[in-house]
Order: sequence, then C-alpha cells, then structure tokens
Amino acid sequence: MNRWNVDVDWAWAPYEPTHDSPWDLRAASHLYRRAGFGANWETLSRAVQQNPADVIRELVEREEPAAFRSDMESLTQSALASGNPRQLSAQWVYRMLHTPTPLREKMTLFWHGHFATSADKVNDAELMQQQNELLRSQSLGDFNVLLLEISRDPAMLEYLDSASNRKVHPNENYAREIMELFCLGEGNYSERDIRELARCFTGWEVKRKKFRLNRYQMDEGEKSVLGTTGKLTGEDGVHVVASQSHTPRFLVRKLLRFYLADDVVFSDELVEPLAVQLQQDGLQIAPVLHRMLGSNLFFSASVRGRKVRSPVEFGTQFLIALQGSSDCFQLADAFERMGQGLYYPPSVKGWDGGRSWINSSTLIERANLVHDLLAGGKTRFDKRTVSEWADANDLTSTDDLIERLQTLLLAVDIPDAGRQRIAELVSKQRADSTWVATTIEVVCTLPEFQLA
Amino acid sequence: MTKRELVELWNRRAWLRTVAASGSLISLESLVPGVLLHAAEASPRDDRILIVLEMAGGNDGLNTVVPHGDEAYRRARPEIGIPADNTLAITSEFGFHPALRGLADLLEQGQLAVVQGVGYPNPNRSHFESMDIWHTCRMDKSSRQDEGWLGRYLDAIDGASFDDPPAMHLGHEKQPLAVLSRDVRVPSIQSLAQFRLKARDGQEFWKSIRPSSQNASPSSNDLLDFVRESDRSAMATSERLESVNSSYTPSQAYPSLELGRKFETVAKLIASDLKTKVYYLRIDGFDTHANQPDAHAGLLREVSESVAAFVRDASAQGFGERVLVMGFSEFGRRVSENASEGTDHGTAGPVFLAGSAVRAGLVGAHPSLSDLDQGDLKHAIDFRQVYASVLQDWLGAPTEPVLGGKYEPIELLKKV
Repeated sequence: MNRWNVDVDWAWAPYEPTHDSPWDLRAASHLYRRAGFGANWETLSRAVQQNPADVIRELVEREEPAAFRSDMESLTQSALASGNPRQLSAQWVYRMLHTPTPLREKMTLFWHGHFATSADKVNDAELMQQQNELLRSQSLGDFNVLLLEISRDPAMLEYLDSASNRKVHPNENYAREIMELFCLGEGNYSERDIRELARCFTGWEVKRKKFRLNRYQMDEGEKSVLGTTGKLTGEDGVHVVASQSHTPRFLVRKLLRFYLADDVVFSDELVEPLAVQLQQDGLQIAPVLHRMLGSNLFFSASVRGRKVRSPVEFGTQFLIALQGSSDCFQLADAFERMGQGLYYPPSVKGWDGGRSWINSSTLIERANLVHDLLAGGKTRFDKRTVSEWADANDLTSTDDLIERLQTLLLAVDIPDAGRQRIAELVSKQRADSTWVATTIEVVCTLPEFQLA
Repeated sequence: MTKRELVELWNRRAWLRTVAASGSLISLESLVPGVLLHAAEASPRDDRILIVLEMAGGNDGLNTVVPHGDEAYRRARPEIGIPADNTLAITSEFGFHPALRGLADLLEQGQLAVVQGVGYPNPNRSHFESMDIWHTCRMDKSSRQDEGWLGRYLDAIDGASFDDPPAMHLGHEKQPLAVLSRDVRVPSIQSLAQFRLKARDGQEFWKSIRPSSQNASPSSNDLLDFVRESDRSAMATSERLESVNSSYTPSQAYPSLELGRKFETVAKLIASDLKTKVYYLRIDGFDTHANQPDAHAGLLREVSESVAAFVRDASAQGFGERVLVMGFSEFGRRVSENASEGTDHGTAGPVFLAGSAVRAGLVGAHPSLSDLDQGDLKHAIDFRQVYASVLQDWLGAPTEPVLGGKYEPIELLKKV
C-alpha cells in the first residue's frame, strides 16, 4: 500500500493543464478509460480540441437519449423473454459498448458491485433487471433515495434472505450488510445496533415480486439504532444509517478507489473535503464525482496506470478503442471466467478489484479472450477485418501500430526493449497479412495492458 | 522477524532432526526451545501435502456435529434441529448430520478428527472480517497487509525457489488472502482444461516478448511489478501443467459437483509428482439465514462425499500417507434459530481433519449450550492452535513467525 503525500488544496482544485500534465490524447484516453469504457481515435481527437472542463461536464451531465433508452428496452425485453439471467449479462455488455452516457453506465456498474446481488441466488431475470434499472436511474442521483429503494428492492431482499421479516426472531442479514457494506464500514456499529435495526425491518416482505409491508409481522416497539431511539420503522432505520457521518466518508473512499487508484491508502485529509461536500450536497453523487474526475489529482502522474483493468474494462476498452463489435455472449462469458460475471457478483461484498483481478488463471483467460477476439472471425473492426482497419487508419508499420495502441489503450508505456522484441517477432511475419493481428495480440497481452 | 531469520530457524530445525536421529538430542535440551524439540520428535517427511478446504459463509456447526443429547439444543432449534435418530452416531451424545455419510465412514476407518468449538477471542460476526482473521491470524485490520498464514509459511520455506508452484489455489473466485505472500505468486487454476494458452505457439510466444526474470528490473509502479510477477508465474505454471500425467485414473468416483472435480484435480496433480505443498479449495453457500435445512444438507453432502473420495483415492494411488485435508469455516451460527428457518451469524464451530495420519475422533470438549455470550457459543480451542499443530506436526514448519504468536499445538496426528 502506498501513501500519497499531496497538497490537498491542489489535489481537488479543477484540473489545469501544465507542461507536466498537458491536456493531450493520453490525458483524454485516461479520462475515458476511468470515467467510461474507453474511446476510439476520433473521440479522443475531438476531446483534445475542446476544453477539458467541458469534456468532463458533458460526461457527468449528459442524459441518456430517449432513442437509445427505447432501443435498450426492446433488447432487454427479448433477453427477459428467455427468462434466463445469463442473457441479461450479454445485453449489459452491449449497452456498455454502445452507450452515449458512459459515466452513467460506469456508475451503474459501480453500484452493482456496491449493492451486489447475484442472479445465482435470486434466479429471477425480471427482478434482477428491475434492480439494474434502479441502479442506472439513480446512479448519479441522491444516495438517500437509492439506499431506500435498494433496501426495498425485491432482488436485494431475496438475495439477503429478507423476503419475509418476522416479528419473532428477526433475521439479521440485511441489517448487518446495510451498515457494514453499504454505508458505514466494519467497526462503525455494534452487534446490538444490528439486532435493533433488524427489528425495524420486521414486516418487510416480497409478495408477487413486489415489496410490501406486512403490518401483522411489524415489531412496533421502541428500538435504539446508532444512538437514535423511538418506534422506528424500516424507512426510519435506513434514514438513521444514511445520516451517520461515516456514510459520506465511506462512499468517498470507495469512489476514490474505483476511479483513482487501487493500492493507495487515502489519508483522512484527502478524503475530508470531498466527504464534507457530499454531506453538504445531501448525498448527491454527481457533484462530488464531477469534482473528483475534474481535479488536478485525477490527471496527475500518481494516478495514471495505478489501477488494474477489471475484466469488463479489459474487454470493452479493447473493442471500443479499435471500433470493434463482437459476440456479446462470448464476452459476457469470458468476463465471468475472468472473475466478473455481470449480474453474478461473487458475494454481497461485490468485487474487491485491484490486485484480486490478477492471478495466473485470469491472466490466461485475458490472453485467450484477446486471441479469440482477433482470431475467431466474429469480430469486426469498423465493419472491416483488423488488417483492413489498420490500412484504413494508415497504420502501415509495426511502430505506427504500436504507437497508436499505446495512445488508445495503454496507461503505461511499453519499455523500449519490449517494443524492439515485438518488432523483431512481427518482422518474421511481415510477408503475410497476419502481422496486424499478431502485433495487437502481443501488445494486449502484455503486463502493461492489464493496467488502466 | 526477517526472512533470513526464518530460513535460519528452518535450517536449524532440519539440523535438529538429524541430531535427534543420532540420539544426542538430550544434551541440547537446555539450549533449544521446546517448540523446536517437539518439531524434531515429529520428524515430518518433506513430501507431505496439506489441502485446505474453506467452507465459506459460516457453516452451522451445531447441525454438522449435532449435540442431540443436549436439551438446550432441542430447545434452541424447534424447527431445524436434527433429532438424534436421524444423525449418524459419533458418541452417545453427538452425531453427524445425516448428509455426512462419507465423513462418518472416514471416522470409522480412523481417518477423521473433528476439533470442537474452534474460534478466537472477541469474535467478529462479519463474514469478511472473520474470514480475514482466519486467513491472516491478525485480529487488527490495520496490521493485516496482503499476507496470509499460508503465504508466510511459503516464505518461511523459501517457496519462491521451488521449481513447481509451492501452493496452488483451485477455483474461479479471487485468490484467498491466506495464500498471499511477500515472495510467492500462488497460481489459481479453474481446471486443467481451462489453463491453456491459446496464443499461437503458446508459451513460446509469450516468452519471446518478455524479459527473462533475471533481466527484469523493478519499475516505479508497484502494481506493474505485481502484474509482471503474476504473468511470469502464470507462464511457468502453464508450462509445468502441460507435462501433467495424463495416465492418472481415479480409483473412486468423485461427486460430479464443483468440489468433487476440484479434489479430483488435486489428486491428479499429486499423482503427476508436482512438488506443491499446499492446495487451497473453497466451497461457498453456508450463509443459511433462511430455509436452511435443504441447502445445508446439499452442501454438507458435497463436502463429505468429495473429501471421502479424495482420501480413499489417495490411498489407492499410493500417496494416502502424504495428504492431510483440513476443513474450516469463518464462524458457526447462532445457537437459536431465527424465524426464517435459518440461523444468523455466530461464533465457534468445528474444524475437521481427514487423512490416514489423524488421531481419529472428537477432539476437545464441545462448548456449553447454556453458558452463552450474547446467544453465541464460547470457543474452546483457538484456531491458531489447530494451525500450529498442522504447521509443526504435519508440515514441520516453525509456528511462531507464521502465526504471529505462540499457540499451544493440540495433538491431532498419530505419533510416528
């Protein structure tokens, strides 16, 4: 774990391009990698013509266009008609690849990991999709609303065994996880708080796929949760938890880790200004995220290349950068083998991310995915083969191609010696047309490519 | 303790074994700590293998080894309690869950030990915290770092210098904290079939574009160095596994469930003469807050049949004396059932050990069901004592540096 020694005022001040940290293609590429699912050459070229603040504002503020939403609705409906939650994973991959609002989609993925619910247990595609829509619609909104809605979300209640909360011997599962994993963090509540909060949720149940309150099972007595005492209802309980001072701090830390860097201990001083803002904004997510992504710190060298690409980022960024389209089912399955099954997070804690994405098995899966995407014949690059794509982009030498891949896709440079070895290897194949695919495969299986 | 000190201690222990064999140990008694003498007596073989099985989610210990003779058990479990007649007899007061036929058979054949009431002081009832505690032996979050007890063991035996992976994790989930180490990148394998590089020319292709490990210099980015090391380990493991013996045929039918397949893979790898010391396996789903009976029975059956098949297969393949299986969970469950025919998070629970080396039977006294702490059992044996026994008496490894403290081993293995 690293500790950063940075000036807090500078860190969160709006990004000002400097000689060391210019607003260039690499900076734009960094922004789209972190705030979305990557970008192609045209998007990056357009971004650097604009003011970075405008590009960031557009990412945060743009609403999902109605036409795209209705396209996605019909796609979702056909996935649902199959009744198989696995179809949903493929549908979401498609959405990530084509969304005009990548930050909203990235935040939806963030919340899916935060309020992790798995179709493995829920096994009802409709409920899983209902939750996914909730996460998307509230992804950049008011956390109070999101938390209350998720607490009464049928898929969540099924997942945490809380589909019927009875007065006698209340089930403690949801009461524990809302404090430990959703809002406060371990250690910021007592076992007694859990038992009392579980009493607030008595009477909450799922009937015919809908949340409802069963008054006969409600414990109407007095409860005492985190210092608040009264005849608290479930809604009151959720409110008490959300309004703890730990909540904005817990959320800011998690957002920092998701968007900025994996292996870093964020100091209290660094977290505090953002936590205070989040609290003052009434737990509105968009403004604090805007400040985070538009900051000097975000664009600084200490943040570049300090995250491991998640499986979803690995696959989507590869395709988006190369204007590729491929079989979304194959991608969704590969993501699952790489450790990130969409709609199938491993536990209520979601994905740990960072180093935990990487082990021998997932590295081999990653390499094999790149191989399949290039060799399988199912992938088109701007509606062409990959060699035609390189031609159309005037990438005629190995060096040009590596340089382009570096700008589009890599957060850290390939060492010169490595570039030389690739060039040598590929030169043996220059005679035939496979050199483009070989070069891309080599670059995208390097350790450097695993970082974002 | 530095790595060098560890290795020194290690070498000293190996030396002690030689001295013990020559019969001149007595004169040394005043010079060496008791722990070392004990290690020398046990004289563990170098080819021993430990298989750790994590039962994730919090296994309900009271419905695993059922204290049916206790009135308090029946009172606390009106809906989901298991009547004495349905259990598989262990003693007059305890019986196994009916799904544990395989383990009950192992017990009868003298190949199963169950340590009762294993836990730790000030139990944490969060899955993730408690699991981390079992994995790291560190109570305090801030002192944990990314290092587990098996990882420290691997560093202690200088696992980084092994030709084969010193430990292996089988599964598609993220790597368990227990095997994370400072010097060793433990490979994870989903299955042997999955673990194959598709790239043209396979590993040759990878090798040709990467610097050899001797030429690799650390970068200014820790994360990049970590990925590079993992990448090298993946390549080496992939290469090694291609040579795995395909002539192995199981002598037993393993359950055709995920855990059964994992145990079969372990048997195959051992049969291929891999020098791996530790295998780590996991089965998830024990978090039974609601509708516990069917789900729990299914999980216990999977564990029981898989472990029994492995132990029997190991004997048939001729490496039965070299393997020890240890099964644990992050906590047991609340004594009283809840209103959803389930149980909430609790504290102490049983740990089992299987293999021909164990002293079969129940170990230790079952915690009282009437003297509870906030509705939960008080632990009788610290999990680090179980680890200490396994490290010292099975693997012949130093315990203190690995566990971060002195823990009295318990006698779990037969005297050799």
